[in-house]
Amino acid sequence: MSSHLKLRDARKEFPGVVALNDVNFEVRHNEIVGLVGENGAGKSTLLKILSGVYQLDKGEFLLSGDVINLKSTRDAFDHGIGMVFQEQSLLLNMNISENMFLGREDMFVHGGILNKKAMFQATEAELEKVELNLSPKLLCSELTFAQRQLVEIAKALSLEKSHGGSVVVLLDEPTSVLEKSEIDLLFREIRKLRERVSFIFVSHRLDEVLEVSDRIYIMRNGEVVGEMKAADATLSSLHKLMVGRELHHEYYREARQREPGKQVIFEANKIGKNGMFRNVSFSLHEGEILGIAGVIGSGREELARCLAGLEILDDGEILVENQALALSEPRNAVKKGIGYIPRDRKVEGVVNSFSVAENITMASIQKICSWGFIKKAFEEGIAESSIKQLGIKTPGVHTRVGSLSGGNQQKVVLAKWRYAGARIMILDHPTRGIDVGAKEDVYELVRDMAEEGLSIILLADTLEELIGLSNRILVMKDGNTTKEFDASTGSKPEQVDLIPYMV
Amino acid sequence: MLNLSNKNLEFLKAQIPLITLLSLVVIVGISEPAFFTRSTLLVVIADTTTLFLMSAGATFVILMGGIDLSVQAVASLISVIVAALLPEYGFFAILIAILAAALSGFSGGIAHHILKIPSFIATLAISGVVASAAFWLSDERQIYIAPELRDKYLSWATGETFGIQSEIVVSVVILAALLLIQLRTTFGRFVKAIGFGEQAVIASGIHVPRIKMLAFTLSGAMAGLSGVVFAARMSSGSPTLANEFLLPSIAAIIVGGTALTGGYGSIWRTFLGALIISVVRVGMTFVGISVYAQQIVFGMVLVVAVAITIDRSRITIVK
Repeated sequence: MSSHLKLRDARKEFPGVVALNDVNFEVRHNEIVGLVGENGAGKSTLLKILSGVYQLDKGEFLLSGDVINLKSTRDAFDHGIGMVFQEQSLLLNMNISENMFLGREDMFVHGGILNKKAMFQATEAELEKVELNLSPKLLCSELTFAQRQLVEIAKALSLEKSHGGSVVVLLDEPTSVLEKSEIDLLFREIRKLRERVSFIFVSHRLDEVLEVSDRIYIMRNGEVVGEMKAADATLSSLHKLMVGRELHHEYYREARQREPGKQVIFEANKIGKNGMFRNVSFSLHEGEILGIAGVIGSGREELARCLAGLEILDDGEILVENQALALSEPRNAVKKGIGYIPRDRKVEGVVNSFSVAENITMASIQKICSWGFIKKAFEEGIAESSIKQLGIKTPGVHTRVGSLSGGNQQKVVLAKWRYAGARIMILDHPTRGIDVGAKEDVYELVRDMAEEGLSIILLADTLEELIGLSNRILVMKDGNTTKEFDASTGSKPEQVDLIPYMV
Repeated sequence: MLNLSNKNLEFLKAQIPLITLLSLVVIVGISEPAFFTRSTLLVVIADTTTLFLMSAGATFVILMGGIDLSVQAVASLISVIVAALLPEYGFFAILIAILAAALSGFSGGIAHHILKIPSFIATLAISGVVASAAFWLSDERQIYIAPELRDKYLSWATGETFGIQSEIVVSVVILAALLLIQLRTTFGRFVKAIGFGEQAVIASGIHVPRIKMLAFTLSGAMAGLSGVVFAARMSSGSPTLANEFLLPSIAAIIVGGTALTGGYGSIWRTFLGALIISVVRVGMTFVGISVYAQQIVFGMVLVVAVAITIDRSRITIVK
């Protein structure tokens, strides 16, 4: 296979950091190249170089053997490099056809008039490539996430017309919003399309990268630390190269899993929210980790938000230590010792522009006040001991939380609830968007909390994580609970046991 | 080559209001040497008091990411109430007036929070109501305050204290008190937190509506205090007394460097901002620009100040 796209000794620096250090990277024609690395490894910088957002400081960028210098994303597009973004970039109030040729309508314009019919026909031809049988006139807001993703790919493929098949499509975390069945569909299409174009596939999920790629690059600290055929790679060999150390044998700290206590701390009694979930009952014991499994639309996300008081229940009752709790606002929950670790950390977890100390004391500010005034020195002491206890990596207590890495921000949120004395923790995707090393720290902290007798409700990023961490698992589907699994040490269910009850 | 690190640049940017103030003082002082006398400078500071008080409370609202467009109307109404009630109720008139001001601030907060309408609309509506109330109460006339009443009840606001104008003492006391509130109380902290990220504050179990109500009420009360000082200085109350203050009161906050987007800023900055507005006003008067034409300058100053202070990383598209 001949070289399609190549970076030779590529270097990119930002003030204070070398984002790419003499990187050599190649995509051959009709190849799917996987790219993995922890957050901050340089993946996004590499993608931004390839899509024309950034320019190289040193080194060469070759496309089909010619040195090129891309000035913008549009420039990259005109060179046959299409990017499918993590956050989808379709305009939802426009139809498929308008999105497909956005900014490139010229080719259908004759005498100042847009030939819509020709544009529709061209769109249909592109949709056919990804086997989407949809009308080009359909509004993008009516499409499912998977369909939108395919439309984006079709948009990138539309470059073929002008580039005689010489197209590279960059896929940045394309599966993060997709369901399993949709991911399978996407992968099938990608494999089929490989006959015409080349792909670069970036994902946090190593198993997906292994499944779909022909060859994989592993990055760490701005360097390529490994390159191997997917057939020769395993999850643990990739992981080892990514983090620079062995995959912990006890990744989810199962050895630290304890039998929960007898006392029931939290009880949900036939609770429901119209259109989201109904008739959900469960009890949560002291020191127990209760995992809730379910796909998007199962109602588990809304359930978690209702338990935190962020949304309001329509039916049923909640008991905390045998006392009924009216949950109309988060503060009702907080008063009863319920802490919520949100999925969207930057919006509901931390105040980005506030310091580490100010964030840690936010949910329990009365504790650091006397006569209505905040005792700053006392607050600093609290923050310092939290930083030490949770291993938060920060230059100091006054550092803005927004400048910390995702993993450390998450630890600040955990520290906030621990200082507030929360006894029930709702962890809504606690490891989302944080790198592998920080994930392990979060797992340790989850075990610490359970050991101290805190009760935990967990919505995990992956089934593997859910099974690994939980004492017990509740499966939800279409708003109903379908099954409960015991997940004690030694008798954990397999992923395949859960899936039939989820879909 | 001048090489500034990011941190130094941030620091320098934060000092722009102070640098602006000092430069303006020097510029006005050079063109009009009389400006540099102790008495003139003290008069300028004393003249700033009513503007500072009006902007001081509203600063908390802006720190939350809202805005209060009713302060000048509230100040006018309060001057009317004080002037009308002073003969009969004495010090109680002042208390009643400030309570009325706090109530109008609170009403703006209620309209904003309960009905979920933007604060600029809610307070604009309140400003209309308050302005009408002032006209109605005063019979559309100016109400004079007799000199003996003024000396008896309002000398704290307009006489001399410790050998300087009382207004300055009032300003400094209020500045100190509000700074303490802003820096050391939970209210002050959460006002900023709401400006930076309200949802995280709600999720932390904090009673956000209470903080919002308090901020609007404080804004009203401070506008009321401003109205009292205004009435004392003019020896009268009038429904149009503070009419020209809408632009300057917002401009003072923004020129001081408090971001209109919320979160970033301080009462201290509003104090600097109010002084800047005053010096600009004095400068223009020296040059001979009419009071009415001065509004053109304040309008432009406001636009430029917002353009400089706005946190562009948080706004990509303005609608």
